[in-house]
Amino acid sequence: MKMKITWNTVIAILMTLSVPATSLLAKTSITPEHEAYFEQHIRPALVQYCYDCHSEETGKTRGGLLLDTQDGMLRGGDNGNILSGTNYRDSLFWEAINWLDLEMPPKQAMPTEVIQRFQTWLEMGAPDPRQQEKVTVQSSIDIEAGRNHWAFQTPIATPGATIDSFIADKLKSASLSPVAPADPPTLLRRLNYDLIGLLPSPDEITAFAQAWQRNPQKALTEKVDELLDRPQYGERWGRHWLDVARYAESTGKDVNMTYPQIWRYRDYVFDSFNSDKPYNRFVQEQIAGDLLKVETDAEWQQNLIATGFLAMGTKSLNESNPRQHRMDVADEQIDTMSQAILGLTVSCARCHDHKNDPIPTTDYYALAGIFLSTDTFFGTVKSAQNKRPSRLLELPIVDPMIAKNKYSPADIEQLRQQRSQLIQTRRSNRNNENASQQQLAAIRRRISDIEAKLAQIETDGTPITTAMGVQDARLTGNTTVLLRGDVEKPAQTVSRGFLQVLPGGGSVKINPGASGRKELAAWLTSELNPLTARVMVNRIWLKLFGAGLVTSPNNWGTTGKAPSHPQLLDHLALEFMQQGWSIKKTIKTIVLSKTYQRDSQFDSKNYEQDPDNTHLWRMNPRPMDAETLRDSILTLGNGLDLKRPYGSLVADIGDSRVGRGFNQARLPSNVRYRSVYLPILRDDLPAALGLFDFADPNVSKPKRESTNVPTQALYLMNNPQVLSEASAMAKKLIKQFPSREAQIKHAFMLAYSRPPDARDLAAAKQFFAQYKPVTPDNSNGPRFQNARRSGRRPQNQLQRQAPNRGRRPVGGAMTEQAPNQGRQRGMQPRSGGRRGNRRGDANANTPRIPLMTPEEQTLAVFCQSLMASGEFRQLN
Amino acid sequence: MKQLINRRQALQQLSGGLGSLAFATMATEHALAASGPNPLAPKRPHFRARAKHVIFLSMGGAPSHVDTFDYKPQLTADSGKKGKYGPQLLGSPWEFGQHGNSGLWISSLLPHISQHADELCLLRGMHCDQPNHSQASLQTHTGNFQFVRPSMGAWSLYGLGTENTDLPGFIVLGNSRGGINFGSAFLPAVYQGTKVGTPGGRRGGDGSEGTFPNIKNPLLDSQAQRVQLDLIQQLNQNKLHRDQHQPQVEGVIQSYELAFRMQRTMPQLLDLAQESEATKSLYGIGESATTDFGTQCLMARRMVESGVRFIELSSGNWDHHRNLREGMETKCHEIDKPIAGLLTDLKRRDLLKDTLIIWAGEFGRTPHAQGGDGRDHNNKGYTTWMAGGGVKGGFSYGATDEHGYEAVEGRMHIHDWHATILHLLGLDHERLTYRYAGRNFRLTDVHGSVAKEIFS
Repeated sequence: MKMKITWNTVIAILMTLSVPATSLLAKTSITPEHEAYFEQHIRPALVQYCYDCHSEETGKTRGGLLLDTQDGMLRGGDNGNILSGTNYRDSLFWEAINWLDLEMPPKQAMPTEVIQRFQTWLEMGAPDPRQQEKVTVQSSIDIEAGRNHWAFQTPIATPGATIDSFIADKLKSASLSPVAPADPPTLLRRLNYDLIGLLPSPDEITAFAQAWQRNPQKALTEKVDELLDRPQYGERWGRHWLDVARYAESTGKDVNMTYPQIWRYRDYVFDSFNSDKPYNRFVQEQIAGDLLKVETDAEWQQNLIATGFLAMGTKSLNESNPRQHRMDVADEQIDTMSQAILGLTVSCARCHDHKNDPIPTTDYYALAGIFLSTDTFFGTVKSAQNKRPSRLLELPIVDPMIAKNKYSPADIEQLRQQRSQLIQTRRSNRNNENASQQQLAAIRRRISDIEAKLAQIETDGTPITTAMGVQDARLTGNTTVLLRGDVEKPAQTVSRGFLQVLPGGGSVKINPGASGRKELAAWLTSELNPLTARVMVNRIWLKLFGAGLVTSPNNWGTTGKAPSHPQLLDHLALEFMQQGWSIKKTIKTIVLSKTYQRDSQFDSKNYEQDPDNTHLWRMNPRPMDAETLRDSILTLGNGLDLKRPYGSLVADIGDSRVGRGFNQARLPSNVRYRSVYLPILRDDLPAALGLFDFADPNVSKPKRESTNVPTQALYLMNNPQVLSEASAMAKKLIKQFPSREAQIKHAFMLAYSRPPDARDLAAAKQFFAQYKPVTPDNSNGPRFQNARRSGRRPQNQLQRQAPNRGRRPVGGAMTEQAPNQGRQRGMQPRSGGRRGNRRGDANANTPRIPLMTPEEQTLAVFCQSLMASGEFRQLN
Repeated sequence: MKQLINRRQALQQLSGGLGSLAFATMATEHALAASGPNPLAPKRPHFRARAKHVIFLSMGGAPSHVDTFDYKPQLTADSGKKGKYGPQLLGSPWEFGQHGNSGLWISSLLPHISQHADELCLLRGMHCDQPNHSQASLQTHTGNFQFVRPSMGAWSLYGLGTENTDLPGFIVLGNSRGGINFGSAFLPAVYQGTKVGTPGGRRGGDGSEGTFPNIKNPLLDSQAQRVQLDLIQQLNQNKLHRDQHQPQVEGVIQSYELAFRMQRTMPQLLDLAQESEATKSLYGIGESATTDFGTQCLMARRMVESGVRFIELSSGNWDHHRNLREGMETKCHEIDKPIAGLLTDLKRRDLLKDTLIIWAGEFGRTPHAQGGDGRDHNNKGYTTWMAGGGVKGGFSYGATDEHGYEAVEGRMHIHDWHATILHLLGLDHERLTYRYAGRNFRLTDVHGSVAKEIFS
């Protein structure tokens, strides 16, 4: 049988791709007899039968295999080791030369006597004198000197100090006088934003102000506890972690295929924050959850899902070299892990010693050995572009939402029949010269689809519940340094380990049969590790103040910034660990400080001296982030649905390629749940988030950027959803309050968390005097026609918006073709290219503008102005 | 008031491409009333400007210089030998030929651009500080690879304002990642780059309405919207009054005024239906490989005509560690015709003399091979080029060593490159400063020397 690279063999290859240095045949010293035998019989045979396709001289490395050096033979090719196996008769090399599963040389087998000589040679243990000069990559880094860098030193405690005392000391020495505390409504707005990402309602503001009058400290403590207990806390802070973890629902890069199962990781993160899972445990689960001891299936399930952290990075799916792909996946994991947890850019050491930090390239490959001993399960479906799909992890507990979409025996039979028919067609087409490549590709794609579908169900038709994650590889071991990162240039083997510059990073004991991730997780979260706790408390500080104590939150190396308050940083880190790595407790300590509660009021004298507010003489005014902006607009309008949606819109679509056929514009944009549940496709973010500085999910992103561009203004002025929410807000106000005065006052309370002042009232008065409601007669925009048109067809709209959840099993099998919604859109007649008035291009998902009375319209435009204004979009 | 008249004159000069601007002028007056002098209004340069506009063709991922514009016969001769850093040298798989009256050597990968050899000013002695994409890219844009600093587009706009205050003065087209590359940092927010295209998306603008979302209000006409905008701006002014110092809100105010005016100007600007089929095909629009970049190039020409100061285009995926042969063929094909079309079109409209075209990756690539058919990062020596706006055409400045590893002659660091670009725009890089955190900041920090040798 010829070797066919099918879906199943690809999986098998991924499973068996071994770490280069783990061949079962050891390199032993070679006897003169062995050498003579090799030179007389083996080398000539290799030259004659193999070098044509597998040697540097001919420049061909078919199947990634080189047979002209011992190293090449030991490393094997795309199909893994060729000489491995307990017995040479199990080896790929033996199978190939005997034309068993593989047929090599391909056209005609070697003569029997040559095969017999190979047998003799293999029985000798494959002695091979063709050893190249072994390259050893030397490091010139002085690790000992590197340990002197402040961030690698153990944190030092300052007994009796508090956040406020550290801050006060620095303010005093800089002769800065801090501003007054914020008033209760400002403080409540800040707390709500920071802890749950939602604005307080006018009732909550009143209640808080009253409680404050009775006992400020009690009111504050109770409020903080209440907010930390709300499920919205986990969504808010979990999302901060998702920025750092580069969470996304597609691979990004060249092919950009969806990750329909990664939402389970998203929910896991939110749940972990809500249960205040100790941060050390949270890290361990994400690095090695699959290896941790568990008591129940439920725990195991969560731990497996947690390892999605390692699996959801960007992937180059069209990489033709599997070894390169595996290395790239490991590199991405090292990069994200080191930045997210250690605040170090370890990946710089892939090709050479780190240019700035004491991280030799050997340390990088010590870590790489751990990740190369790990298999990553990220899914995606094979296609002409996607050369590197993988399986997913099957979860121990069946998800009832998935299991209920059971395939009937007839369905399965139909799929099987379709598959065999397609395979028949493919066979006949292959021999038919008239069949186009496109036709063949389409057939191949349909076969992949069906096979992927069948792979996702049990024999009885129950869909399998799957997740992205990692497992230890079947073959584990140390790996070699790669010269300048070139996968074809292995140098010396290095023992698996961590970063030597950090305590416990040098000599590490790892069981040869394990990947070492468990040991890595333990080392990362050891209390002796000087970075992990510091990096995390700095992230918390950054989110609460708008700037970290270290302003380069993902780079604590020598090119990063030194902390503004080093002792405070150490104090927080030590307290964090003492309090059981509790994130909630750290947040609570910080928000209960006077420093946090300061007003953001400007002071020209302080500003002149400290314009960046490094000394925290006031609270930093901060722009409202994208999620809170959208959530707040929805809250004020038609209402925000606080219930967690099941799954994700990307899960509803299943496996698909992000591109012209399927993209953000094809997904419903008028869903009403919280923004953290919107579909996050790499290089194609939802407009409501992408326009407002959402974190680019291609890399670990510790801090949001802050831009102020006209495209944001245009969104707030013109986006139909914003208009629709403003209209709902106006209608509610009119229903609730008879007088315009009360409507205005309440609108301010809703949007700004404060009543209007005299200037605001004057502005409102002027607006209501000048604004003339638009009627269809004096409206001149073609879009208005559109709006009216869609207003008459709500049925049709709803149908188009309905997600096709449940029609397809999870991980279903669409490839890069447009999914259903895309197809429907694609079938709409095109507009014929009339410019400026292309009706066909109106997004099918844009909400229609509700009909409004003139009074409603006027107030709606007023409400929209509040949402669009600078004050709404900023936190003081 | 004087400023207003200047601006009105400027607008009228440009009105040909944009129809009646009476409305826009009215809006401008509103803007001035609402927020003081317009920070985008044209300013006088320090000295005579050789170029008024910049089109920066950004080649993300870093194209190989030794396979495009840096002819290295010695590399071809030594192909297969060990290079100075160990690995085997890889001669360019492509032929080089001499082109134009100037006889500039250009690779056969770029047949269309080669026809414009006499317009090109090759800078073959480039070097920068970092061999990593994100850092080098940040340095190429901002001069600095460590901190958030204003982009050169933002500096240009800050120094010169823009001729058409109804459009953003700094526009970023195509799939450009990394907002910090186009940001204004401590400069006022109004100077940052505005992306045109799907937000966060990789699909570049194709001229359809969809590529500039939210440009029309579905309900309000412009009069009603102006009343609304007056309210928004009054609320913003109130916020400024309450907070005293609020750069964020100042940025909001300016972004609204500009957004309001863009509703009129942008759809016209992006409407490629106004272009003839002949022009479109000149840019390769309609051919699948060249449509994306061709559209960017054609839009850039329209933007130059409309008075946009600084336009950045982007073409990514030049990172050929592997598949150099196939990858370079594909990528060069994607940009060759569009760039040649842009040069032809600008020239025939007499716009090239006022427009500085800059072609650059964030660094170059090694003369030695990586994995047989690839090249690694090389920041020590590479080539960028300029054309139009005051530079010598058919000219080559600087050189790398015999193999193309390192810049050895006419060395031009990114700081020098920035200083030169600003000089061409009539700005002295040492005088273009902004005071922040107690000191004066420059695009070139404390470095930079102007390469006057390349000026025409």
